[in-house]
Amino acid sequence: MRDKIVTTVGFIGLGVMGKPMALNLIKGGYRLRVYGRRKETMAPLVEAGATACGSPEEAARGCDVVFTMVTNTQDVLEVVLGERGIVAGARRGAILVDMGTISPAATRTIAARLAAAGLEALDAPVSGGGIGAINGTLSIMVGGKPEIFERVKPLFSCMGKNIVHIGPNSAGQVAKACNQILMLMTLQGLAEAFTFARKTALDPQNLYESLAGGAAECRIREVLGKRMVERNYVPGIEARLHYKDIQIVLSEAHTLGMALPGTALVTQMFNALIGRGGGNEDSSQLVEVIEAISTPRPPNPA
Amino acid sequence: MSMNVGFIGLGIMGTPMSLNLVRGGYPLWVYDRRAEATAPLVAAGAQVCASPEEAARAADVTVIMVSDTNEVEQTIMGPNGVLAGAKAGAAVVAMSTISPEAARSLAARLREHEVGMLDAPVSGGEPEAASGTLTIMAGGLPEVFERVKPLFERLGTNIVHVGPNGSGQLAKACNQILLTMALEGVAEAFTFARKNGVDPHRVREALLGGFAGSKALEVQGKRMLDRDFQPGFKAHFHQKDLRIIMETAHEAGIALPGLALAAQHMNALIGSGDGELDSSALVNVIERLNEGTL
Repeated sequence: MRDKIVTTVGFIGLGVMGKPMALNLIKGGYRLRVYGRRKETMAPLVEAGATACGSPEEAARGCDVVFTMVTNTQDVLEVVLGERGIVAGARRGAILVDMGTISPAATRTIAARLAAAGLEALDAPVSGGGIGAINGTLSIMVGGKPEIFERVKPLFSCMGKNIVHIGPNSAGQVAKACNQILMLMTLQGLAEAFTFARKTALDPQNLYESLAGGAAECRIREVLGKRMVERNYVPGIEARLHYKDIQIVLSEAHTLGMALPGTALVTQMFNALIGRGGGNEDSSQLVEVIEAISTPRPPNPA
Repeated sequence: MSMNVGFIGLGIMGTPMSLNLVRGGYPLWVYDRRAEATAPLVAAGAQVCASPEEAARAADVTVIMVSDTNEVEQTIMGPNGVLAGAKAGAAVVAMSTISPEAARSLAARLREHEVGMLDAPVSGGEPEAASGTLTIMAGGLPEVFERVKPLFERLGTNIVHVGPNGSGQLAKACNQILLTMALEGVAEAFTFARKNGVDPHRVREALLGGFAGSKALEVQGKRMLDRDFQPGFKAHFHQKDLRIIMETAHEAGIALPGLALAAQHMNALIGSGDGELDSSALVNVIERLNEGTL
């Protein structure tokens, strides 16, 4: 039944997130045409039965649905609208689903350009990280027409657990931005709480455990809080990539003319984190910045 | 000793600045996208040009005072731009507030054509531009600075060569950091006084003589108390400057927590429809934040 609706699926962008997501679609019984800018990223997919393609255009050819999972707004625009891009190869009525986190404004531009070319669009950014992608337990926030959402929903179910249609095009990106705001402030809260605990000689491990199940319980405490306690900053979420998502939020706030005072403050702590050389490490290292603010400087060497 | 001067961008700041140069005896070639903007300069004796290229062709020094980084880049590098007209040995002086990075890369491009460049943003608004009392922060080679200095002396009173290309813009960024926080401080202090039933006029008067006395308290503080938000320095320009600073801070990995907070208040001011007001209207945001507490 399902195969009558969607038979062939394109997937572009096979990085940390894209690769396991594409593999989960193959496991779900879909035929995949894949493209990755770095050729070697396609090998594990080909091994699982996918067809490797030489361009986004080629990957889109004959597909009912094409997914993109590339890093930034500029790359998405290139992959979709550029020379040898998806629009050049996709047939009328095909659905483009962008699962990356990009600016809501760019998402609206893409949807309009696709509509003009007789194509459908969904924005479907995810939350849940590499682990969620591997386990097929991502949260997926979708913007676009309800009937298009319904057609793609079985495919989303291969990749995620909590799949919500938020509203029209770009609504998914707006929801992702809200997710980002919450995540950021929670991270700051945790960093301050653990620093407070350490300054008052409380064992952070005890604090970590005591918070479980309380009113402040959350997934970010569980995962990133643990990294703060252990001072283990292997990513996870690389701070510099995290910053890119925050920048989208602040830029949107600037354009809308609205104040996000907390987000703006935490972003500055991220600047300090990146300035200390922590850009390639996990965002939970924010706790080290908060600690450093209140740590006396060692005396200057003579 | 006479120096031919090109002047591009005849807005709120550019018009009085270029008039001061004409009055100082400099032969002037002017250009503005809006032809009507050239009228007061023509009346004062300046030549009108059809493009930045034409203005630069006649000039030993070409001054640019347009609104943002993108416009400065277009004015210099774009079709019929300054680069196409500037002679070897001439100098270009960008007096707009632009990103330090853009200032450095424009200087490098002009250097390839043996054209000198200064980034020389100013502090002070329309009244200072009119009275020739601007503060000018210049970045570039010392010899280019020395050559242009007599011209700066017609425009401003506090003229400092800060360092190499881009450093004028960095000094301007520091100026904006201080000014923004001072505005925030004055707005919060007045709101605090008012909410506690104390007359902020009296508070301002008292503080002006003390350690916290400042130009912001004197000038912007007065505007806040008089509710006179005629620009001055428009809030949306202020917001634009803040964006440049926040981006520069990010690229350098530097935290500016106080400024980031004040920039959010500036966003709220713009969003509430006050972008065309003087940026001292920031006090409105702090007051709205505290509505209902009396």
